[in-house]
Amino acid sequence: MKPRPSHPNFSFSAFQLFSICPWEGTLFCFAAVLLASALSLHAQVAAPPPQDPLITLMASQPRIAIPAVTKCTAAFDPPVVRPGEQAFLRVALNALEESVKWPTNLTGPSQLEIRPGAHEQMMHYTGTNMEPRTAFNYRVRASSLGLFTVPEFEVKVDGKPVKVPSAQLEVMPEPPASVTPAALLTLGLPVTNLFVGQAVQARVVLPAGLGQGLMQLQLSGQGLLTDQGTIRQHIEMVLRDGVNAPSFIYEMTFTPMLAGKLTVFAQGFTIMRRNPVPVVPNVPPVPPVQPQFTLVESDPFEVNVRPLPREGELPGFTGAIGSLAVGPPKLTTNVLHVGDPVRLTVNVMNRGDGPLARLVNPPPPQAPDWQVFVANDFAAPQPLAPQQIVVPQRPGVPAQVGTVEGVVTFNYTLIPLTESARATPPIPFSYFDPKTVRYVDITIPSVPVTVKPGAVPGDLATLMQTNPAVMESEKELVLSGLAGSRGRTASSLVPPQQQAWFPLVQLAPAVVFFGLWRWDRRRRYLEAHPEILLRRRARRALHRQWRILRRAGRAADASRYAAAGVDAMRVACAPHYPAEPRALVGGDVLPLLPESERAGRAGEVVRRFFAVTDAVRFDTTPPSAKELLSLQPELERVLQQLEQKL
Amino acid sequence: MNPPPRAVGPWRFVLRPSNFGFRPSFGLRISAFGFPLVVLLLTVACIWPGSVSASSAEALFQTGVTAYRASDYALAAEAFGQSIALQPASGALQNLGNAEWQRHRTGAAILAWEQALWLDPFNQSARQSLRYARKNAQLEAPDLAWYEVISTWLPVSWWAWIAGVSLWLSVGVVLLPGILRRRKATWHQAIAAVGLMVFLLSVPAHIGVETRSRIGFVMQKDTPLRLTPTLEAQAVTRLAAGEPARKVRVRGNYLLIRNGRVLGWVEQDQFGLTCPKRGKDSAQTVKVAIAR
Repeated sequence: MKPRPSHPNFSFSAFQLFSICPWEGTLFCFAAVLLASALSLHAQVAAPPPQDPLITLMASQPRIAIPAVTKCTAAFDPPVVRPGEQAFLRVALNALEESVKWPTNLTGPSQLEIRPGAHEQMMHYTGTNMEPRTAFNYRVRASSLGLFTVPEFEVKVDGKPVKVPSAQLEVMPEPPASVTPAALLTLGLPVTNLFVGQAVQARVVLPAGLGQGLMQLQLSGQGLLTDQGTIRQHIEMVLRDGVNAPSFIYEMTFTPMLAGKLTVFAQGFTIMRRNPVPVVPNVPPVPPVQPQFTLVESDPFEVNVRPLPREGELPGFTGAIGSLAVGPPKLTTNVLHVGDPVRLTVNVMNRGDGPLARLVNPPPPQAPDWQVFVANDFAAPQPLAPQQIVVPQRPGVPAQVGTVEGVVTFNYTLIPLTESARATPPIPFSYFDPKTVRYVDITIPSVPVTVKPGAVPGDLATLMQTNPAVMESEKELVLSGLAGSRGRTASSLVPPQQQAWFPLVQLAPAVVFFGLWRWDRRRRYLEAHPEILLRRRARRALHRQWRILRRAGRAADASRYAAAGVDAMRVACAPHYPAEPRALVGGDVLPLLPESERAGRAGEVVRRFFAVTDAVRFDTTPPSAKELLSLQPELERVLQQLEQKL
Repeated sequence: MNPPPRAVGPWRFVLRPSNFGFRPSFGLRISAFGFPLVVLLLTVACIWPGSVSASSAEALFQTGVTAYRASDYALAAEAFGQSIALQPASGALQNLGNAEWQRHRTGAAILAWEQALWLDPFNQSARQSLRYARKNAQLEAPDLAWYEVISTWLPVSWWAWIAGVSLWLSVGVVLLPGILRRRKATWHQAIAAVGLMVFLLSVPAHIGVETRSRIGFVMQKDTPLRLTPTLEAQAVTRLAAGEPARKVRVRGNYLLIRNGRVLGWVEQDQFGLTCPKRGKDSAQTVKVAIAR
């Protein structure tokens, strides 16, 4: 394969020129000029495209350099304190905070009370690069005099061990005058009793003599929401230790989000103005050292946060807390056409002492003649700067001029659906007033309008009506309150049909019904065969008479014995006829005895018993029945024979 | 001629212990009030432990309400949990859900609200809280079959009694006129037909209760759904706290659950069933929820 010429156009031209022109020298110069032109032209064509400005900007930023060797410093601020006075143990590393595995507890001498304080990371410019700096603060108080050392300890940075040097704190009754007190921010809150969601403006003061302003100022604590966009900074003279001194003032808004006692403190990085480099005559000046950022913080501040009362909550409450007023709503036009959107603008003004936090639009109302949308529903409207504004009042009340601490504008888009609409729908809106501890209604009022027929179809209202079921489901969902009573109770979460006893309970009616059915069958059988019942009763009566007979026999009560014997024979024979037992006589008993017994001893016994008892009942001179007592064995045999027949 | 035997009707059995062959004896001669005394003592013996636990449960419930109002949600959850362990109640479960939600324990909160609805589907507050929580946590409700939807119309315990009463009512209406020697009337047949119809209509609901009792919820966030019931098993996916699933079977300390179309194993502690199979498990579930 032939090598390809790198510049084919140029090669072609030179060859042609050399081949067709006899004047080599002139032509060579000309060719050289042409070559130069061609090369320059080629260079222009191949020029790289201009870089993206954003890429260029990014490339121009100093890069973040993480030092290979992690340096760590630890020192007390101030190094000398009185007993009980607070000092800060400030530990700083040139590493990312995320890469540092910091111990949860810091051990030190027992005389020192060590509590964790602020910790934060920042990136500072070293001239060529950005270098991370992570600081950990500890609040230390000494209870007794002496020189105390927090020993050296080891932490892991990116998995590598790094030694945190020891630091010494001297506790003296009277520290030297040259020792300046610890750099401390001052945090001030106008109120300490707050409601959840109530924005409050915190004021952080840094004396100008301590530092050169604050960087990465923030409020730390659980359950807080700090609005970094609201930080304002200015310098004013603040009375400190009896002297008016210039101080950096920072104001920022924070909102408690949890109920209970919350602890909050301010923290930020500053460049300390201590230890100026001494100027010594005849000694070359020491080059200025790189400014070191120090993490300073304030004392913790405790605020009491209460939940908003559920009682008395008004429609349209979207979390607004403070003292608000609603300006007159403004429409872009008051003459509308059906289906044409119109914009409604309303200003909400802060009349209270506190800051105006971001407000959430009240939800658009469901009106039959209107379709209403929130126009700025992507982000909560932010308050504008304080301004002097005329607050309109209700009709008939003169307007007042007052200072307004902020204004929020709500925008709605309204579409009239019918020509019958005469005014825009009122938009329920309310706020919670923490001073009076009650909800206040500031509903956005209606605006009179004239609606004319539009170009859209007349049934627009029908088309745009939302399905009631969808409307129901789109209602704002909230966590329901506590149940006041225990409600429906059960012995177990397991339903009865899965309990072991349930089949048994269901078996009970089955058993009852089966028993009833069996009983009915038996009853019907006995009705069809009454002799069974008669014989059973006769057997029972026979046994009863038999017992009486034996008792009378033992007592030698002859008359009773004879009567019981006769009655026993009668009840034993009655089912066979059937007949009433009392109507039977001895002749009725004899046929029931075996053929051989009728004329024998058994027959004789039956006859004797009936004869004697009849004589006892009917004769004027009743005979003695004592002789019958001796016939008890024979009578027993007769009764046994009769019982066998039953 | 002897008179015909007297028919003995079933009314003679009513409130006559002797008719049941039952004569209580205390070593003394039983007087007329012997049987009522036995009934009274048995009733007291049955009701007494229940009333004691009910009063304790009520006291714990009030403790929980007070703690919740003081924003001490941990104490509130513990008190509500103990109250439920003594006697499950829909209101207590609803409040337990609220307390767990305030403690950012989505799984336990959703389980408690589902159990509140399991006991009392008319509890609109629990239903609303459940919708609110699911919307906030972007969770889906369990996918129910038609017979399971029917079973949510009434409390689960009602279906059992409706089926039992309707079945035996229809059987009784068919049998008793013959036994009592009454002429079968039209209304007897109507009642029997209605009873049978109600019984048959309640059958799908019964099946729904049975299948719904296997529905549970993931208790911990990022719960791994394992391929096998072992600690080192590969995780098929990770489930969010409060996600619904159905229990398929148990093996050791692991449950095989079906979440949508994914099938996998989770540890038993990581999954709370709406209807624990035993009463003891019910209390255990509550305790696990509190401990977390």
